[in-house]
Amino acid sequence: MTVEQDFEAVDQFPVGMRVLAVDDDQTCLRILETLLHRCQYHVTTTDSAQTALELLRENKNKFDLVISDVDMPDMDGFKLLELVGLEMDLPVIMLSAHSDPKYVMKGVKHGACDYLLKPVRIEELKNIWQHVVRKSKFKKMKSIVIHDESSQGNSDQNGVKANRKRKDQFEEVEEEDEERGNENDDPTAQKKPRVLWTRELHNKFLAAVDHLGVEKAQPKKILDLMNVDKLTRENVASHLQKFRSALKKITNEANQQASMAAIDSHFMQMSSLKGLGGFHHQRQIPLGSSQFHGGAATMRHYPLGRLNSFGGVFPHVSSSLPRNHNDGGGYILQGMPIPPLDDLHINNNNKAFPGFSSQQSSLMVAPNNQLVLQGHQQSSYPSLNPGLSPHFEINKRLEDWSNALLSTNIPQSDVHSKPDALEWNHFCNSDAAQAGFIDPLQMKQQPANNLGPMTDAQRLRSSNPNEGLFVGQQKVENGSMPSNAGSLDDIVNSMMPKEQSQAEFFEGDLGFGWHNSSLRTCI
Amino acid sequence: MDAHVAQLQMQYRNYILSLYQQGFLDDQFTELKSLQDDGSPDFVAEVLSLFFDDCVKLVGNMARALDQIGTVDFCQVGANVHQLKGSSSSVGAKRVKGLCINFKELCEAKNYEGCVRCLQQVDIEYKTLKAKLQDMFNLEKQIVQAGGIVPQVDIN
Repeated sequence: MTVEQDFEAVDQFPVGMRVLAVDDDQTCLRILETLLHRCQYHVTTTDSAQTALELLRENKNKFDLVISDVDMPDMDGFKLLELVGLEMDLPVIMLSAHSDPKYVMKGVKHGACDYLLKPVRIEELKNIWQHVVRKSKFKKMKSIVIHDESSQGNSDQNGVKANRKRKDQFEEVEEEDEERGNENDDPTAQKKPRVLWTRELHNKFLAAVDHLGVEKAQPKKILDLMNVDKLTRENVASHLQKFRSALKKITNEANQQASMAAIDSHFMQMSSLKGLGGFHHQRQIPLGSSQFHGGAATMRHYPLGRLNSFGGVFPHVSSSLPRNHNDGGGYILQGMPIPPLDDLHINNNNKAFPGFSSQQSSLMVAPNNQLVLQGHQQSSYPSLNPGLSPHFEINKRLEDWSNALLSTNIPQSDVHSKPDALEWNHFCNSDAAQAGFIDPLQMKQQPANNLGPMTDAQRLRSSNPNEGLFVGQQKVENGSMPSNAGSLDDIVNSMMPKEQSQAEFFEGDLGFGWHNSSLRTCI
Repeated sequence: MDAHVAQLQMQYRNYILSLYQQGFLDDQFTELKSLQDDGSPDFVAEVLSLFFDDCVKLVGNMARALDQIGTVDFCQVGANVHQLKGSSSSVGAKRVKGLCINFKELCEAKNYEGCVRCLQQVDIEYKTLKAKLQDMFNLEKQIVQAGGIVPQVDIN
């Protein structure tokens, strides 16, 4: 699970996927190029395998996919396939007029992702992007495995990620969609060790975030400030994401209710585990292995599939909390063991702080609260252990904290620069950009038709096409059959009468004065 | 003028259909046509031009190879045939492609006479096709000049 995703990239892929097409047959190359353009890929063509290799070597990140003909004069297509696989690890699709299975087998053995037969149809090309995704998924798995082994705040994570670009982002979106529903599954190599966001950990997190400022907080910096062993930047990043998302949702709601308490109590809910009952909520928000409700009025459906990792501290409890803890549209935490009600009734009618609805604040007080939500300055909060300080004190601290938080945090537009619809797991732009995680979307920046190294096919095309049929042909024909003018020409000439009669036929039929003989002269 | 345009268009349509019916063109040609649009209005002409250039080059190569009587490199000939097969199938030159299939077998069998004969047929065939397509293009030009638009011909 990563957070730095260039969302626009994800939106567009596979549009703009960069393909390098190699075929010494200029006819086929031209057609292939057009077909690929039609699929909205970005196409570079070359008729030489050598040139292709040079292009690829020049910048490994310049292309997403290579399509190559098998039979080429300067280099065997299979050789090119091998080299590209070894050096650049890009997906390569073979193209050939050979339908012989042994060629197909050879392609597979040399590592081709696919083998297409000429003539290539556009339908086949429309799906080739899957090879890019598949390959990058494989690469990602490899890098994740490596990452797990050295999970100390990797600063070169950025580099790794930068190399993975859009295709990773695209498939990561899909992955996260799956993961959300399968929080407890263990998709083998893709699962990272879960971090338990304990109270202390979360406190540190909050401290760091507060120090940096909620908007400006970056996972890397937070990580550094937190100075926790074995914590990865990614852990922090996803935690931060949830934090911000929750904040944002709450501020949305807060605008309706002008309730500052919502924010911190929502956040408390997120972080806290058990016994934070006492709040009503009509809506249920499934949370992977644990459940809790967001506030009815103040919190909306919060994609909680991920919240399991948000501490992993929520026990899997199926019991539901009593609903009538506190009146007034508070929150209910489902799936939490219910603390003694008394403890929760902190300040039903506490008017000590504006905007805090009493119910929410009582979230803080659950005796077996393992949470976290302590303000940025730990010193200003009592530890939320059983044996809490008087309610009033806590509420006051709550107020302080949320005030502080809110002042740095709202309005929501600062928190998330992306619309909510984009799913909460997409990190906000500023954060990602600052962290330098995202490889700027290359495809958007690429020129529409980068055909620099493109060669013969292009030049040919640039000449007058229609005339080419006449003039070009004549010249070439004359040039290309010097020694054989005798044998073949004789035969052709002997056929001329037949052709001429055809010409006459056409003339009469089509009613125009075009003379076939003008063509015949070149024969 | 409209009647004239209509007549031209009718002729065009019939002509194209006849090319398909006589086996000169196949579905791939239809595909090519479908790729032509306002963005690339001469696409078909360009590709065909490239194709016929290829034909010339490849036939020339093969003729030269077959001319080395006694030391004919059939592999070389076969390679050229293969390439011609690829490009002809890509443009929809059905008859040429069909000939290439036979030609390939003859090369593998190292049948000299057969190869020579096949090459001659290929030569005739591609030139015939070229002529026919030129007629088609001319018709298109006429239609446009008469103020009409070139009709899409539905082969089915």
